[in-house]
Order: sequence, then structure tokens, then C-alpha cells
Amino acid sequence: MVRERRDLYSLPDAPLASRCYSHSKVETDEEFDARWVTYFSKPDIDAWELKKGMNTLIGYDLVPEPKIVDSALRACRRLNDLASAIRILEAVKDKSGPHKDIYPYLIQELKPTLTELGISTPEELGMDKL
Amino acid sequence: MSYSKMSLAKPVMRGLLGKRLRFHLPIAFALSLMAAAAFKFGVTEPRKRAYADFYKNYDATKEFNNMREAGIFESVRPTGK
Repeated sequence: MVRERRDLYSLPDAPLASRCYSHSKVETDEEFDARWVTYFSKPDIDAWELKKGMNTLIGYDLVPEPKIVDSALRACRRLNDLASAIRILEAVKDKSGPHKDIYPYLIQELKPTLTELGISTPEELGMDKL
Repeated sequence: MSYSKMSLAKPVMRGLLGKRLRFHLPIAFALSLMAAAAFKFGVTEPRKRAYADFYKNYDATKEFNNMREAGIFESVRPTGK
């Protein structure tokens, strides 16, 4: 099956996100978060959209909010993609960079979801060590 | 749910790279400019001055004749030969 032209207009791409000093409207953090939660909440989201969404999200200068990660993890569940779920956790840890307080907070907020969906963290799997 | 320790407060999660760049880029530019200035005034300007001083009262003909007498040329022999 060939994907000729992906409709990129359905992506919550945000050239307006974060800081935009042009005269276009600036989106609030809440609107940004809501758009991404909606994006991953699409019931029939496909693998490509999941990957594209995550790659776009990781490109931003922010660590995704727990509710966005939660939505993405549930999309992984719908796609039966445990590997991507764990990868998402690795990705947000990496996005935190030197700020070591962000990842523990994220895991704390996501613990109920991780338990519900049966997702192990990279640490539990011993995958965080080289 | 048992609270074995206080739940973590929400850290700042946005704009971390921007903040880092706003702090480090001006310093990086300042240090680079200072390095360039130091090299200019510590190396290139003294070098240019040395060359200028050398050639200020340089007599090419006199130097040529000295070299000629020293016998280093093949195209002209020292006077007297």
C-alpha cells in the first residue's frame, strides 16, 4: 500500500507553538496540550500517525505533559505496540536532558496508566543501563 | 494508595533549550569575539608591525649586492669574477 500524499494538515503541527513573535495568533500551552491529546486519542489512529506524531512532538523544545504521553501510550495499546510504548518513555527521559527531576515526575503521574496498560518502564526492564 | 514519600512537584517542562541558549549563546559569542580580538592584537598586529618596520627603510639594491657578493646567485657572479 503506497501512501502518496499524507495529509499533513490533519497533524497538530504547531509552527505557532511556544514562542512566535510574528503577528499570527500565539497558541497557549493548554491549547497545544489539548491538540496533542486529541491527536493521539483518535480511535483508529494508525502506526504511521503514531510515529509521525511522536517524532514531531519530540522535535519541540518541551517535554510532553503527562496527559499527552498518556494519550500516546493508549494509542500504542490500541495498536498493540508495546515496543513503541516503552520507546516513548525512553524518549521523554532523553528529552529531559540534564534536568533529572522531570522523568521521575512523569513516571509518577503515569504510574496508574502504566499499571492499567501493563507497560513496564525501561528501568524495570534493565534497559536504562548500557 | 500509600504515601511512602511526598509526591514530586511538577517541574518546568517547557522551553528548557531556549533558556539554556539564552544563557549560553551570548557567553559563547562574547568568548569567541574575545578570542578573535586577543589573536588579532596579540599575534597579527605585532606581526604586521614587524614586517612594516623591517621594510620601512629596506634598501633592495643594497641587499641584492650583499647577496651577490656572498655568491648565492647563479645568474650573476660576485663583482670581480
